[in-house]
Amino acid sequence: MLDRIELAEKNFKSEIESVIDLEKLEEVRIKFLGRKGLFTELFEEFKKLPKEEKPKYGQVLNKAKSSAQKNFDELKSKLENSTAEDKEYIDLTLAGRGVELGSKHILTQTLDEIKSIFKGLGFSIYEGPELESDHNNFEMLNFPPDHPARDMQDTFFVNDNFLLRTHTSPVQVRLMENSAPPIRALMPGKVYRNEAISAKSYCLFHQVEGLYVDEDVTFAELKGTLVAFLKQFFGEDVKYRFRPSFFPFTEPSAEVDVWWQQKGKEGKWLEILGCGMVDPNVLENVKIDNEKYVGYAFGMGVERIAMLKYGVGDIRTFFDNDKRFLEQF
Amino acid sequence: MKLSLNWLKQYIDLDGISTDEVVENLTTAGLEVDEVIDQKKLYDNFVVGYVKERTKHPNADKLSLCKVEVGGEEFPIVCGAPNVDAGQKIILAKVGAKIPNEDFTISKSKIRGEVSMGMICSERELGISNEHEGIMVLDENIESGTTFGEAFGMNDVIIDIDITPNRADAFSHIGAARDLAAVFGRKLKLPELNLIETDEDVNSIASVEIENKVDCPRYVAKVVKNVTIKESPKWLKERLTAIGLRPINNVVDVTNFILYEVGQPLHAFDLDQLAENKIIIRSASKDEKFITLDSKERKLLDTDLLICDADKAVAIAGVMGGENSEVTNNTKNILIESAYFRPSSVRKTSKKLGLQTDASIRFERGCDVDGTVFAAQRAAQLIAELGNGKIAKGEIDVYPNAIAKKQVSLRIGRIKKVLGFEIPIKKVKEIFSGLEFELVSDAEETLVYSIPSFRHDIEREIDLIEEIARIYGYDNIPEIAKIGVSVERRVDHSSFNDKARETLSGLGFYEIITNSLLNKELASKYGNPVGVLNPQSVEMSHIRPSLLPGLLSTISRNIKVKESNLKLYEIGHTIRKFNDVINDFSDFEETEHLLFAITGLAETDEWYSKKREFDFYDLKGISNSFLKSVTNSDRVKIKYNQNSEEGIFEYSISNLVGKNKFAEGGKVKSSILKEFGISQDVFAFDINLTELKKNIVVLSKFNELLKFPKIKKDCAFILDSNIDYNSVVKIIRANSSNLLKNVKLFDIFESESLGVNKKSLAFELSYYDEKKTLTEEEVEKEFWKAIDAVKVKLNAELRG
Repeated sequence: MLDRIELAEKNFKSEIESVIDLEKLEEVRIKFLGRKGLFTELFEEFKKLPKEEKPKYGQVLNKAKSSAQKNFDELKSKLENSTAEDKEYIDLTLAGRGVELGSKHILTQTLDEIKSIFKGLGFSIYEGPELESDHNNFEMLNFPPDHPARDMQDTFFVNDNFLLRTHTSPVQVRLMENSAPPIRALMPGKVYRNEAISAKSYCLFHQVEGLYVDEDVTFAELKGTLVAFLKQFFGEDVKYRFRPSFFPFTEPSAEVDVWWQQKGKEGKWLEILGCGMVDPNVLENVKIDNEKYVGYAFGMGVERIAMLKYGVGDIRTFFDNDKRFLEQF
Repeated sequence: MKLSLNWLKQYIDLDGISTDEVVENLTTAGLEVDEVIDQKKLYDNFVVGYVKERTKHPNADKLSLCKVEVGGEEFPIVCGAPNVDAGQKIILAKVGAKIPNEDFTISKSKIRGEVSMGMICSERELGISNEHEGIMVLDENIESGTTFGEAFGMNDVIIDIDITPNRADAFSHIGAARDLAAVFGRKLKLPELNLIETDEDVNSIASVEIENKVDCPRYVAKVVKNVTIKESPKWLKERLTAIGLRPINNVVDVTNFILYEVGQPLHAFDLDQLAENKIIIRSASKDEKFITLDSKERKLLDTDLLICDADKAVAIAGVMGGENSEVTNNTKNILIESAYFRPSSVRKTSKKLGLQTDASIRFERGCDVDGTVFAAQRAAQLIAELGNGKIAKGEIDVYPNAIAKKQVSLRIGRIKKVLGFEIPIKKVKEIFSGLEFELVSDAEETLVYSIPSFRHDIEREIDLIEEIARIYGYDNIPEIAKIGVSVERRVDHSSFNDKARETLSGLGFYEIITNSLLNKELASKYGNPVGVLNPQSVEMSHIRPSLLPGLLSTISRNIKVKESNLKLYEIGHTIRKFNDVINDFSDFEETEHLLFAITGLAETDEWYSKKREFDFYDLKGISNSFLKSVTNSDRVKIKYNQNSEEGIFEYSISNLVGKNKFAEGGKVKSSILKEFGISQDVFAFDINLTELKKNIVVLSKFNELLKFPKIKKDCAFILDSNIDYNSVVKIIRANSSNLLKNVKLFDIFESESLGVNKKSLAFELSYYDEKKTLTEEEVEKEFWKAIDAVKVKLNAELRG
């Protein structure tokens, strides 16, 4: 009996040594440790032994089997782990499966950034039509017919009474005609100027108009609001100036310049936005009491700001929509 | 307008104020400075030189080799001018000199093998005239080595300012000086008159008659006799050249000088060319013709105002004089016109003729009606001084209805209401006195000012408040950063589009923004477009009635740069007219559209995929996902349009809510693509957002998660190949209870083995009961009922 136990142990060892995968291991298990395996057979025989002989073999057999079981368990877990590594070798250096995300146009992204700042300041967003009446685009905004101020905005006319809006300000008119103060709104949209297309100007661009009408709106608050915008948009250390200007629909009027310095180039003031206190004539035109209410308005060009912010030198690039440009943003 | 700093100093003492401060304060007072040119810096490295020697260039016939001596140093110069010669004094631009207006710097160079250490300049290269026939040859007494600045008095600073349309008063040196005087608190020094007149009364020499008193409220004429027409003196030429004007003769130069000094446009007539020495101001007759100073014949309207003599027209009022009465070298006697014309009349004429002059710009913005006499007198004095003329006594001043000075009141409390801060009354009064506004009364917290006649822009209280802010300085106004929270309802018109854009970005689309102006022919193919009267070019004369042309142009351009696999979209307005004449907003329709398109390869050849072109089902899948993301899609119905003759698609699907179609997409007809030079398929989907937003409220509602297991059953039918997928689904659904939750087609198989013109469609049907676990028997019953219906109604055979 002892010999046979020893032989089983020896055979088990030699066979398990040559095992290289789980499949072979399982064969070995069945052969030795399975229900009909060698060790099980030995135990069956052991049971039949006379009582007095049992202690002599019992310990040896138990030891042999548990050692085999241990060997098997160790090898099994080793094989299981190593299988993952050996069999599932993958080339981690291969390119991943392409997933192309699209993007919003950089002008939209710039506008979104502007919108989100003003939304945070309590502004609603309104839109209006591009084909406008002369009445809404000019007259209601205090541009009398035959006034030199009309030369400030080269206009595409459809006829004497209709035109492509030259600014988003007619949305102000529509809004004020249809609602009562307080009105706090941001009005983005396309506007048109009858200018030759060049690196610096295009026949259309995007404007964002802001309007706030209430009882205690002041020029100082206009400044405060726009400075808050400039700091959020261009950074806390932005250098700016407000200087007097002229727009028929605001008085006093101002333009805001931002100091722009590119590496290795001379710095210069760049005009970023126009603003002012809503002209009392405009409030009167839309039937808002201009004694009680005061308002401010401002407007800025999205292209101009995007050109600055992203270093785009030619405005036409925005409208060429070359994919190699679009996918950069 | 260009200002000369030297000239400006005639009217205001700028001692102790640097040029930079002047420039900054002009800007902060509202006269925005565009450019500052310091002549000294501009002419660094330009010096007087002496041409010691000139020989022919050995390798070029038209070039000369010169030795130019400058203060003891000698430079070899290659020169191409025909008039260069030894013994001349010239201006040499040394190495490092920057040529004005040309953005080009002189460097040491070799020209056809010969070294050149600079350039001998023409007047044009020096930026002082347009003369470029040859080099400028100087008086031989000018010492070599002198800088160009010293030799020519080029020590001025030229400040170019932008004048806003409301500030007619600032269109002159005195006007600009007045703002500076108010800002710096200094005194404005006006030129003093010293008229020496003869005994001959001007009224005995000439006469003026105003027929159109509306357009010409005032006309002042002054006469100077026996004038010698000659070159202007150096000081006057310097003033004019400094601001970019070309000196002509003493009389014309004086009128230009006065224009830029006080802002009053003047006209000098040759008195002897005026029939009967008479001036009549009248409206033109319709179609009257007139030849202006620039030798062009102008056709006039009866709204144009003319200056005439007893026989003929001699000038278009406020715009330009005529050839027939201009001052020539033979002129002896001069009539100076100093008038006030109605601004809108001059503007109309100038616009219509497309003729904007230094005079018309000022008249149309409004000149100083009270300053006309002074301007005439000052011009007469200068002309007499410079041309040895004799000034006739007095002036003719026809001013039938005097224009009263405006009075405007300012409530002190209103200043704070608008500007938001307190400003001392003393400061307010100082500002207005600096601007020459006269305080008429000061009572009950209200100041009343009489407004000078040169300030057409001051009419109301708010205008006075603006003046305070402007002169006080916008930078000195505090920035109140207290922003009230608004309690009114927030509105966001753009939220839907924002969401749409996010979704499309996620679906891999790039947003494009295209020009909405198209040529007429192209635009007309997509709807009845609205045209503009005054386009930049015929290529951009009509407003887009559809986004498609812009998108196809974009695709075409991208294909040309080898970017041919594209997923693009645009959101924008389109405009179509209903009537040819647009009188009202109801004569056209402006709608917002979203158009997206796919073209080229959906998958490229990669290690993990085979290339595949985009097809209709990509488009359909994307549009479904998109619509599902932005709408509550169960209200959206689909219509299939096979072979549409009309429209832009070869075949398409449309989406409707009720009867309103709001979207259509499909394969763009190749005939359309051909017009854009596109030879690959394009699938496009067009959504009318205006319509969509009207009909669909986006309302996401939570659906309970499934609690019981779903049961799925598969089946495949053999059908005639012309039976479409949708008819099968319809029958399955019609013959199932609400336990059937989903029908999925998972395979299409076509083969001869199925029989001629047969195909197999394999479906997976999902059943689910919200209330309990379904039993196999229940499902089997449902499943076979549906199968039987398909078999009977579509003559189908159940496969395998």
